[in-house]
Amino acid sequence: MSMHTSLRRTAATITNSTTTILPTRPPTQSSSTTFICSQCRHATLLRRPKRPYTFTQLITLSDGSTFTHRTTSPAPIYRSTRDTRNSLLWNPSSSKLMNVEEDEAGRLAAFRARFGRSYDASAPVAEEETAKDPAAAKKAEADAKAQIKADQEEEDNLLDLISAFGQNEAPPPPEKKPFKPSGKK
Amino acid sequence: MSSGSNGARRVASLLRPSIIDSGVCRSCQETLGRRSYSSAAPAIESTSASTAADPAVKPAYIINAGVVLSRPPQITRELEPFEKAFFFYQKRLNERLALPFTKYFYFKRGTPADEDWKKKIQERRTAARDIGKYNAYDSDAWNDELLLGAKESEPEHQVEALVQDAESTANATSQDTSKKEEIPRPYPRITEADKKNDQKSLDRLLSRTLYLLVQSKEGHWKFPSSPVESGETLRLAAERTLAQSAGINMNTWFVGFHPVGWHSFNPRRSKKADSATEIEAPGSKIFFLKSRMMAGQADLSVNTQDLKDFKWLSKEELAQYLNTQYYSNIKNMLADR
Repeated sequence: MSMHTSLRRTAATITNSTTTILPTRPPTQSSSTTFICSQCRHATLLRRPKRPYTFTQLITLSDGSTFTHRTTSPAPIYRSTRDTRNSLLWNPSSSKLMNVEEDEAGRLAAFRARFGRSYDASAPVAEEETAKDPAAAKKAEADAKAQIKADQEEEDNLLDLISAFGQNEAPPPPEKKPFKPSGKK
Repeated sequence: MSSGSNGARRVASLLRPSIIDSGVCRSCQETLGRRSYSSAAPAIESTSASTAADPAVKPAYIINAGVVLSRPPQITRELEPFEKAFFFYQKRLNERLALPFTKYFYFKRGTPADEDWKKKIQERRTAARDIGKYNAYDSDAWNDELLLGAKESEPEHQVEALVQDAESTANATSQDTSKKEEIPRPYPRITEADKKNDQKSLDRLLSRTLYLLVQSKEGHWKFPSSPVESGETLRLAAERTLAQSAGINMNTWFVGFHPVGWHSFNPRRSKKADSATEIEAPGSKIFFLKSRMMAGQADLSVNTQDLKDFKWLSKEELAQYLNTQYYSNIKNMLADR
């Protein structure tokens, strides 16, 4: 009911705390200090802690495992869509959660056939595709060969250019190559 | 100081009648020598005689590394009847002690959810769904005990009550009244593998730890184990053993570098009387390392350890497959659950 302590003191005349706990000190007439230091034995009211109402809730994780817990939410079921069960961080060995590109319609492959792989976010991973599709594997191999050949041609041209530098007559200009998209620049 | 006392010891040992062979270390020699002055001299004579016979029958052991591969429990255990009753009692007690549910904080007045909530409270008399019909503020709030055979304290019953409540709410508040909303129930604790008792399946006994047991070509069951090769630590040997016996299609994790237990097979001696000390087959000591399995399945098709079968078994089932001595040596390193 009351949060006051039973020890009531008027601090006007008390200089330091040690004087208050010295019982042997004779009380001076002029002082108006009141000490109530005797033991008090009356019951103090302990308030019941205010606990909110809690429900039992069924949690369903993304892989279907469930458990119940107590919560203030009145919803009987909580279904989580993203949690530790379908996070790659917690399931490093799960191939299902790997960021594997799905290209069922072949639109990405068509784009690459036309414009090359220079638009890919990361380095191309050809191994998985070769394992899946022999035709695509053959095509990728041919692409790689052409790429190497084109690179070599370009290098030769550059060497010609270097060797011809400083000579009087201008070397014949290298024949115009058709535009060959390449991943490496 | 040390040289002086050493010299004194040497002199003492020279003076003493030598009953001890040179193979015994100095501190032991001293102990034995001191005892030889006491009254226990005859006993020492007999022990020295037996130790003299020992080196000839020195047993030879092969050190093996074994793997205790376990699949940890996937679900919590079944509750005891007392625990169910206790938790249920606590729930009804909590109804009386906690503040009443503040409906208008969660449900806006006049919404379908609010109407549905009111209707349900009329039915079940309390905000909680899993404690049966009980109102903590009624005059009969004291009557909070269940009758014999009541289902309310069963966890399955409580979960079913939650799911049914969610279903009825979804049906009552949805715009489309033509189709019934169906909320999938949680998967049962008893799986298909439990019903078929498929001991190769990892879906069996979800609340227990399962251990991988392999069967050798001769037909006896054991944990995967193989001799430690030279220059190999116990842990490396255990990892190699697991890869060679159960394949690499498992996501495993070895708990430590030290063995959790061991078992020794004594060397077999030949029966002939003249060659009583001959060792026919050396014994082996198997040191088991603990390993946990996260994903995958054992695969014996590529094993190089002469194994023909494997099983995932709980601790109690292990006793039926292992021989008594082996099981008594390994049983204390297995988890109870």
